[in-house]
Amino acid sequence: MKYLRAFLSLVIAGGLTYLLNRPLGVLPAVGPFFSPFTGFWQNADAPLKLPPADMKLVGLKGEVTVKYDDNGVPHVFADNDEDLYFAQGYIIARDRLWQMDFYSRVAAGRLSEIMGPLALDFDRYNRRLQLPEGAQRLAEYFLHDPISKMIAESYSAGVNAYIEQVTYKDLPIEYKILGYQPEAWSPLKTALVEMVMRKDMNARSDDYRMSNALAKHGKEVINDLFPDYPIEESPIVPTGTKWDFTPVAVPKVPEMMKATIAANLDVEAENPGIGSNNWAVHGSRTATGLPLLANDPHLGLSLPSIWYQMQLVSPTVNVYGVCVPGWPGIGIGFNKDIAWGMTNVGSDVFDFYQIQFKDKTLKEYKYDGQWRPVTMRVNEFKVKGLPTITTDTVLYTHHGPILYSEGQKPFFGDLPIGHALTWVGPVAQGNSLKALYISNRGKNYEDYQKIRPLLAAPGFNLVFASNQNDIAITSAGHFPLKWKEQGKFILDGSNPEHDWRAWIPVEHNPSVKNPTRGFVSSANQFPADKSYPYYLGWKFAPGERGIRINERLSAMQKATVDSLRLMQSDNFNIEARRILPDLLKILGGDASSKANPAYAVLTKWNLKNDPSEVGATIFERLVRELRLAIWEDDFPSKDEKTPMSLPTRDRTWELLKKQPEAKWFDDTRTPNKVETADDIVKTTFKATIDSLTAKYGPMTPATWAWGTTKSTDIKHLVPLFKSFSRMDVINGGGANIINATTDAGHGPSWRMVVQLDKTWPKAYGLYPGGQSGNPGSPLYDNMIDKWAKGELNELVFLKSKEEKHPKVVSTMKLQH
Amino acid sequence: MVYILIIILSAIAQYFGPWWLMPIVCFVLCFWKTKSVKEAFGVAFAAVSTLWLALALYQNFLTQGVITLKIADLFRIPNAALLFTAVTLVGGLVAGVAGMAGYYCRAAFVPMNRS
Repeated sequence: MKYLRAFLSLVIAGGLTYLLNRPLGVLPAVGPFFSPFTGFWQNADAPLKLPPADMKLVGLKGEVTVKYDDNGVPHVFADNDEDLYFAQGYIIARDRLWQMDFYSRVAAGRLSEIMGPLALDFDRYNRRLQLPEGAQRLAEYFLHDPISKMIAESYSAGVNAYIEQVTYKDLPIEYKILGYQPEAWSPLKTALVEMVMRKDMNARSDDYRMSNALAKHGKEVINDLFPDYPIEESPIVPTGTKWDFTPVAVPKVPEMMKATIAANLDVEAENPGIGSNNWAVHGSRTATGLPLLANDPHLGLSLPSIWYQMQLVSPTVNVYGVCVPGWPGIGIGFNKDIAWGMTNVGSDVFDFYQIQFKDKTLKEYKYDGQWRPVTMRVNEFKVKGLPTITTDTVLYTHHGPILYSEGQKPFFGDLPIGHALTWVGPVAQGNSLKALYISNRGKNYEDYQKIRPLLAAPGFNLVFASNQNDIAITSAGHFPLKWKEQGKFILDGSNPEHDWRAWIPVEHNPSVKNPTRGFVSSANQFPADKSYPYYLGWKFAPGERGIRINERLSAMQKATVDSLRLMQSDNFNIEARRILPDLLKILGGDASSKANPAYAVLTKWNLKNDPSEVGATIFERLVRELRLAIWEDDFPSKDEKTPMSLPTRDRTWELLKKQPEAKWFDDTRTPNKVETADDIVKTTFKATIDSLTAKYGPMTPATWAWGTTKSTDIKHLVPLFKSFSRMDVINGGGANIINATTDAGHGPSWRMVVQLDKTWPKAYGLYPGGQSGNPGSPLYDNMIDKWAKGELNELVFLKSKEEKHPKVVSTMKLQH
Repeated sequence: MVYILIIILSAIAQYFGPWWLMPIVCFVLCFWKTKSVKEAFGVAFAAVSTLWLALALYQNFLTQGVITLKIADLFRIPNAALLFTAVTLVGGLVAGVAGMAGYYCRAAFVPMNRS
């Protein structure tokens, strides 16, 4: 009896301990997680953190000094480049290890290993996009070049030095909650992080929506409503700039595929939040006589933030700026002589090919009049919580993987069809690590020229300024040499002339240096006007931000840091200036619209998307609804079977202004009535006000204020972790406003203004987050409120490690 | 006495090692020192509850509660007091059961003496 009692009590005690030591379903391991010695309590940082202890690290050659400023920015001083990148990896892992690991898992298609079945579709898609294969190739390029090899390997060793050192107690809280351990870092993982960027910037397509529209309306209508260049635009390379190269022959437009397709390829069509601004002002237009440079890349805003600020110093370099965790070097920043920044180019580098299979076995497909073999690959997923390996079979043609084939009706007799994907992600070369190595050490325009060919994908509008008073901008990247409109619609996978066959020579990329207007800028609009000899895409980001930036810079004399800072949070609504007078004229002619108090608000609105403006709320909602009201009957964008693209806002407003009698204004869903443009505007106005009232109650300056109705959510990378997010940040702006914050959580992910100088530059910047990736740190989200107000921090750019700076609060030494 | 010993020794063990050293310390000390199963369970439960709660409160104070509510929210625990209660209970329960096992094993394998 007593033995049984002893045995049972031991089993209970041991069993309970064992049970609490393991994750339970979605719950973390409760024992270690709740223990105040090792659990989540240990992730909380005191407001005044103890200075970090000095560290001995195997792998360092000499001594590295790290000075932290009061914003948590490390200033790293190393005796050689190997130690510098080692230290960069080590330092960033201390603050952002989980985040970089997460990014690499996203691209590897391995998120379901830690998140369970809910991430499986996402993983499948990312593998089908060939993100892992692309990373493999990138890593090979990195290791092929001695410089990028040194960077990638030193950085990995630094990250791993931290991983080896970290115990459960200091593990980022996400590991504790999700119940897994960090894996060793490697150059491949750095490449995976780059692939995430390629996907975010480039993996977007409305080809099938355009094909559906083409099938329904014919080429003439498409040419009219979906022109290849906007009506109102202010391109990156100023109109009238002469091209200083002889273009190579552009392929002739081949025979187009006549077949219709009715597929709903589940690909993100357009994302108004992914876009960015940058500009540089020549010394002739600044107060100091030397250039100013500003950049604010807009990305999905997240916590931890996508950016991390750092200063990197070795005998070969002294650079300050931001980097993406997992990606060595400084991505956007400045040094003593130059400053540079980036925006997404957004050209069409993601195309679908319609594939005709020979039969239902899907073993052969038609190409150039013959049958070619399809290859097959099985992706495997070790999904958390599932007992067996999950697989996904992907078919490959020479175009790339068949992204979609299931559930489609055959169109060519009885031949099944699929859609193969060709995109730059897995094929573009380049060497971003070497590009950053050169830019970080850049001294002049010649160095800037060396960066350009190394940037392959995503394509970046690379803005540049030097203290020799040079400014420049280039749409850098590897772009396929396409025939006109190649990839505007689904391409014919059986016709060799539809293949991507060559790249535009990089020295022919749109570029301009020291233009006479005294500034360069980009806002993801068309890189060049119609005189550019190559086809880059038929649609770029709406032109409003670019138009506004160029107007303001043209009007600016003696520009200062502050004038550029204010410009970054400019809320003026160019679209409203263009179309609101027409709308008000129509509404003013209608007694019931005119009597609506919202009409009076619109007439008095200052055309700014400031947080307090009610007019902005009404206008933004009105134009969104109006575009749908005009087009949705003819181009059903929300149709489940054959969704179509809507004509752009640019084309829509032109139609409203110039062709109010066009047949498109008639709502074909009301057979007994022929609507005019006026009818549509009036009914949409009423519907808009009704739906706003339904959502926010009766109109008052507080409840309908733009800042309240829009607001911006900055969510944790795992949106389920709601309490790690910052919701409803009140601010102004909008998707097509320079201050491009959206309610969907996109916006300026880093704002920077640099004043170049012969002796030492001054720079300002911040991002909506904080240096620490730890939700338990006061430095997790400390910059958000300042960001919402449009303020910037003065950046601490130390001349040497001996410099005494009042903002430096602690020093850590890393030794071998 | 056992109460103090558990607090001190298990604190040292948990500071340097994993959390599961805590029930082992409770087992050993209760094996050695306790005279009834009630005492064993009670003293281990009380000691570890005190230790965990005190340290949790101290951490919470030191860090101005920066993470407490975030974690409570994540687990749908409505307020901080309940989170502290849950933490205290988890630590106490594991300790108590281990203490109980310590006593029973002693009772099974070592003849009771009068001391």
